[in-house]
Amino acid sequence: MATTHRPGTRPDGLTGREATLSRFTRKWLPYILALPILIYEGIFILYPMTVGVKYSLTDIEFGSNSAPWVGLKNYHRMLTDHTFWLAVRITIEYSLAVIVAALSVALGTALLMNRAFRGRGIFRAVLTTPWAFPDIPTTIIFLWMMNPLFGVLSEMARWLPWIHNSPSWTLDPRLALATIVLISVWKGFPFYSLVILAALQGVPPELYEAAIVDGADAPTRFRYITLPAIKPTLMLLALLAFIFSYQQYTLIWQTTGGGPAFATQTLSILIWNEAFQYFDYSYAAAVGVAGFVLSILAALLFVFLERQARVAEER
Amino acid sequence: MASESLNLVPAPPRFRFRGGKVVQIAVLVVVCAIIVFPMYWMVLSTVQPYNYSLIYSPSLFLKGIELSPFHDIFANHPMGQWLWNSTQVALMVTAICLVLSLFGAYALSKLRWKAKPAFGFFILLTQMMPGAIIIVPVLRLYRNLGMVNSLPALAFVQAAFALPICVWILKNVFDSVPGEVMEAALTEGCGEMGVLWRMMLPLSLPGLVAVCVVAFFFSWNEYLFASTFISTDSGLLPGAVGLTTLIGLYSTPTQTLLAAGLIFSLPPVVFYILIQRYMISGLTAGAVKG
Repeated sequence: MATTHRPGTRPDGLTGREATLSRFTRKWLPYILALPILIYEGIFILYPMTVGVKYSLTDIEFGSNSAPWVGLKNYHRMLTDHTFWLAVRITIEYSLAVIVAALSVALGTALLMNRAFRGRGIFRAVLTTPWAFPDIPTTIIFLWMMNPLFGVLSEMARWLPWIHNSPSWTLDPRLALATIVLISVWKGFPFYSLVILAALQGVPPELYEAAIVDGADAPTRFRYITLPAIKPTLMLLALLAFIFSYQQYTLIWQTTGGGPAFATQTLSILIWNEAFQYFDYSYAAAVGVAGFVLSILAALLFVFLERQARVAEER
Repeated sequence: MASESLNLVPAPPRFRFRGGKVVQIAVLVVVCAIIVFPMYWMVLSTVQPYNYSLIYSPSLFLKGIELSPFHDIFANHPMGQWLWNSTQVALMVTAICLVLSLFGAYALSKLRWKAKPAFGFFILLTQMMPGAIIIVPVLRLYRNLGMVNSLPALAFVQAAFALPICVWILKNVFDSVPGEVMEAALTEGCGEMGVLWRMMLPLSLPGLVAVCVVAFFFSWNEYLFASTFISTDSGLLPGAVGLTTLIGLYSTPTQTLLAAGLIFSLPPVVFYILIQRYMISGLTAGAVKG
C-alpha cells in the first residue's frame, strides 16, 4: 500500500481515538463482511451436506421417521454397484466429450474472430444467445427438431447418403449420449469462444510482429506464440466446462431422463432417480457425498490452475 | 475492456492472400447460422400455421403467419401465472445475492485479511457443488419445517447456488477500480465502509446491474429445485417447471409449447447480450482479462 507521509501527522491523518477504532475495523471489517455469506452458504449448502452425510450412514424408511444406523452399508453398496460406476463413467465420458468438442469449436471460432472486421459486435451478440437461452426451451426446440417424422434435424440427417431412416436420437444408447453432448456443445461453445477471444486479444502484438520479421509462418506462430499464451485460459475453461457438465441436470433429464437403459445417467441423474424414483434417500445421500468429494477435488484443481494462470500472466 | 482497436493482433500485412478475409467471414457466417438455427426454427415453427410444420421436407422459410399459439398459451394455460411466480422467486434471489455478494466481493477484492484465500476457496467450493447432491437433505428439512410449496423457501436455496458466481463477478468489477482512488479516500478520512458506499457503488453501477441480471436469470432458468420443492397442483409453479408440464400432454399442440418456450427465453437472451462482458470476466474469476 503506497501511502504518502506528511511529517508530523499520522499517516492516516486520524486522531488517537479514531485511529484505534480504525485499526479495529481495519482488522475485523473483512470478517464481518464475509460473515453473512458464510452463514448463508453454511445454512443452505454445508449444513444440508452434513445432514446428507448422516443420512448416508442410516437407512431411511420412506414414509416413516425411523432411520436405523447402518454404518457404511450404503457406501459398500455404492462401491460394489455397477450402476454407480457406470454413472461415474458416463459423467466422465459426457464431460470429456463436451470439453473436447466445445473447446475445439470455440478455439476455431475465436481465432476467426481475432481480427478486426465490420460487424464483429453482431457476431459477439450472436455468440451470447445460446448460453442465455434457458435449458427447458433448449430441450423443447431440440426435441422438436429431432422429431422422427417432422423434425428438421431428422430431415437433414436423411440427406446423408448412408442414412435412410430418421436417427432415433434419444432412443439408441450410443446416439443418446452423443445427442446430449451435441445440445450441450451448442449451448456451451459460444461462451468459451468469447472467453478465448478475450485471452487472444491479451497476447502482445509485438510477439507476432517479431515472429513475422523472423519469417515464422502462421502455423508456427500459432504453435509457439498463441497456444502458450492462451494455454492457462484453455485449462481453466476445460475445468469450467467440466464443472458445468458435472452439474448438468436439466438438459439431460429433459432430453433422455438418463435413459435408454442408463446410457445417459450421470451422477446427478442417478441421485435424483435413486431418491425420487426408488425413494432410497439414504443411498441417494451416499452418492451425494461421493459427488461432494469430487467437488472438493475439482475446487482444489481450479485453485491450482488459476495460480498457474496468474503466474503465466505476470511473466 | 480497453478500447478494442488497441488490443487487436494486427493482421500480418504483406503476404496474406486476398481471399483470406472472405473465407474468414464465410466460415463465421456458417458458425453463426449453426448457432442461430435452432432459435430461428423455434420462431418459424411457432408463428407459421401448423400444417406447414407437419410436412415432409419442411420449408426453411416462413410461409405464413398464425399468432394463435401466443393467445392459446395465455388463455388456456397458466402461462401468466408461471411467469409471475418465476418473477417473484427471481426477484427474491436477486435481492439476496445482491446484498450478500456486495459485502463479500468488497472484502475479497479491496480489503487485506489473513483468511482471504480460505474465504475464496469456500466460495469456489460452493460454486462447484451440483445441486443434486444436497437435494435429499434439503427436501427432508423443508418437509419437516413445512416449507415445501413455498416460493421464498425455493428462492433461499436457489440464491445459495447463484451467490458464488455473483461474488466473482462483483469482485472482478471492484478489482478494476484503481487502488489509488481508494487510498485517496481513506487518507481523506473516509472509512472502509464509506469507500464502499460512496465510491465503489457509484463506480461499479454496471457491474451491479450485471449481478442482478445473472442472479435473476439463474433463478429463472433453475429447474432441479423448482421441480422438487413445488408440486404441480399448488399453483406456485415457476415457468421452467410449468413449461415441462405441457410437454407430456397430447392435448397441447407443439406450437403452443414452442410459443411458451419462446416467451420464456426472450427476457434472458436480451439481458445477457447487454451484460456479456461482465459474465465473461466473472466466470473465469480474473484469470482472463476480459
